[in-house]
Amino acid sequence: MNTRTIDTHTVNTHTIDTSTPVIPADAYDTTAFYADADAIATVTNPTAPDAVTLPSEDASTAELLAAAQEAGRRAVPAPLAETALVARPLLRRAGLPVPEGPLSYAIAPELTIRYAHPADSPVGSAGCLGEDDTLLVTGTLPRVPWGRAATAVVVLAAAPFGPVLFTLTPDLADLAPGGNLAEEPRDDLHLAALEVPAAQVRRIAPELLDEARLRAALARAALIAGAAERCVDLTVAHTTARTQFGRPLSHFQAVKQEEARLIEEAALVRAAVRAAAVPLDTGGPAVRLTVAAAKTQASASAAEIARIAHQLHGAIGMTRLHPLHLATTRLWSWRDEDGDETHWAHCLARPLTAATLWPALTTTP
Amino acid sequence: MPSPVAFPDVALPESARRLRGEVRAFLDEERARGTVLGRPDSWLAGWDPGFSRRLAERGWVGMALPTEYGGAGRGFLERYVVIEELLAAGAPVSAHWVSDRQAGPSVLQHGTEEQRRFFLPRIAAGQCFFSIGMSEKSSGSDLASVATRAERTADGWRLTGTKMWTGGAHVNDYAIVLARTDDAEDRHAGLSQFIVDLRAPGVRVEPIRLMSGEHRFNAVHLEGVDVPDGMLLGRRGDGWQQVTGELAFERSGPERYLSTFPLLVSLLRELEQRRATAEQLTQVGILTARLLSLRQLSLGVAAALDAGASPDTQAALVKDLGTRLEGTLVDTVRSILPTPADPYATPGSHPELLAFALLHSPGYTLRGGTNEILRGIITRGLEQHS
Ligand SMILES: Cc1cc2nc3c(=O)[nH]c(=O)nc-3n(C[C@H](O)[C@H](O)[C@H](O)COP(=O)(O)OP(=O)(O)OC[C@H]3O[C@@H](n4cnc5c(N)ncnc54)[C@H](O)[C@@H]3O)c2cc1C
Repeated sequence: MNTRTIDTHTVNTHTIDTSTPVIPADAYDTTAFYADADAIATVTNPTAPDAVTLPSEDASTAELLAAAQEAGRRAVPAPLAETALVARPLLRRAGLPVPEGPLSYAIAPELTIRYAHPADSPVGSAGCLGEDDTLLVTGTLPRVPWGRAATAVVVLAAAPFGPVLFTLTPDLADLAPGGNLAEEPRDDLHLAALEVPAAQVRRIAPELLDEARLRAALARAALIAGAAERCVDLTVAHTTARTQFGRPLSHFQAVKQEEARLIEEAALVRAAVRAAAVPLDTGGPAVRLTVAAAKTQASASAAEIARIAHQLHGAIGMTRLHPLHLATTRLWSWRDEDGDETHWAHCLARPLTAATLWPALTTTP
Repeated sequence: MPSPVAFPDVALPESARRLRGEVRAFLDEERARGTVLGRPDSWLAGWDPGFSRRLAERGWVGMALPTEYGGAGRGFLERYVVIEELLAAGAPVSAHWVSDRQAGPSVLQHGTEEQRRFFLPRIAAGQCFFSIGMSEKSSGSDLASVATRAERTADGWRLTGTKMWTGGAHVNDYAIVLARTDDAEDRHAGLSQFIVDLRAPGVRVEPIRLMSGEHRFNAVHLEGVDVPDGMLLGRRGDGWQQVTGELAFERSGPERYLSTFPLLVSLLRELEQRRATAEQLTQVGILTARLLSLRQLSLGVAAALDAGASPDTQAALVKDLGTRLEGTLVDTVRSILPTPADPYATPGSHPELLAFALLHSPGYTLRGGTNEILRGIITRGLEQHS
């Protein structure tokens, strides 16, 4: 499903009015949800209908997470979380300038990287030294979020001399468009011996590679928290307004039971994400634990949240007439991106022992 | 108006970190004495008045009570740190549990000055233990239907009726009893609370055994028990408001998600002796993520209480999530490391702890208000808000 037409008139026209459970068809026609120039403007253009202002570069992680969550809630058609929580901080940490506009990232250890200007080396294999760090990069960056729309993609990869971070502008790559269940762009960028100038390359400590994975996972978890919240908003509005058997749905015990579970599950995800904010700013062993827990919980809760929201909406929720799909298709997509719950649960549990479990759980707040 | 399911962010102060260290050191000493066995559900089943008194000597019972009444005046967050350490360790805290959690705050809030001066210092000293006398045979979820009656006498009240499921009534000193004092159109009016001396004439405590065979519960028959005027708790007719306020304390604590935590610790100990598979670790990770997330929410309720708010909806939410997790934890532990639960295995061994947790498991989602009722509270809270 990677060649949908883009109808620029319908991009960004959905409003988020949770007080109206029955939505006029045209107001919610989001068939073209791929980013184009207009949609992307929501990152930087605060007057767009779905705008969530991109936080300033010195915002705390808690503020960044709140913005990402809001972007998730509104299904903002732009890589806000990717830009604010992943690409920008990584660039800063690597000492590279931060470009304007929407950014994306790719963690791609499988790229083939050589020196563009190899130097003769008396030791080691040929090509293990370069006259400078200009690189020749070959391979594919798979499913880059908003690849086509990003002004730059931050790539973390393994070079012959160790891990590197470099930036590339997507138009230098051969781009194969793709998307996720929510039709958010996930583009493959094919690089054929692409020359990346030394000025755009930084050698990095292996920890930064780790941090990139953690940041990406946490950004995704924050988006999930937002979409989960949207499911709650829409479901409460719907069950309060819709009448069957002469009573609002919300008056039925069985409906209350399910709805409460939905509310709870969303609260749990939100709490998990928030728990990671302070550790990420202050550093230390709690970072890995809290981020792994946040993504595990967010991904693990997605199915239940989407299930209940759809069940309580009845048939209307399955349609494009109603905005619920904006949230649930994102939940289903995002839970698998940047590591699913199996991956992160395993990372979370690996270092734990009977003696360290409780101390680990209480390192935060 | 903030959403009734919004939770404040919590930052535990440095003093809480120190406190945690002190509690851990205390628990190590107690482990060496053999009093802390790491058993699940220790706040229901771990009855050890000696342990309660030693805690009290450190100022860790009635911690949130003001110092003028013998408390430590340390607030709900610091109390939280202490009780979560005790629960995670499976320490025997059931003797003072209800007096610390409920009776103390309730007497402080509604009691007369005389009641405060009498009960609170004794509670904080770990020398006065309470039971809760709310439920009856026909009044479970529908608590307002209680049939126990309090008739006016010359200098007090005479109570007649039968309370059910009264935990610890056979070993505790007092019970806070909800009784009808006045007939009223509105079922929630005309109820009052009394502090009943469990050794007073006319009180007959009849054991009800759990399916594990343990004796924790009772039917408490009140056969014309004379209660002096001074033991009316709060105002005549305000019983319902008082009880619902009390439930916020009863529902919000870490005991609502940590009852079976010691079983997870036991599982990890078992796994360390073999080589855990990736699948086993993944399941442990999923439980851990949920525990960590729930703890954030639970701390949020404590922070709200500390700030003087009444986070009823949030407390209901945490309790529903938490108590379901307690049950899920037992099932998941069982499937991660298939082990036949065995109540006759060596006490403290994994099969024995599993049996204990399993036999207690139906209670997690019942006690303190069933999950179905709690979910009604949650959705009502949100509907009224939206
Ligand atoms: C371990 C344990 C310790 C306890 N300790 C004490 C104690 O110390 N003091 C005390 O006073 N009480 C105590 N209780 C009693 C407890 O508060 C009651 O069991 C509880 O309130 C439920 O009442 P019930 O058992 O009569 O069930 P019922 O109220 O008869 O409910 C049975 C089932 O029907 C469901 N149900 C009922 N009404 C509704 C409704 N309107 N909508 C949806 N579902 C509904 C319930 O959720 C439940 O699943 C304890 C209980 C347990 C299990």
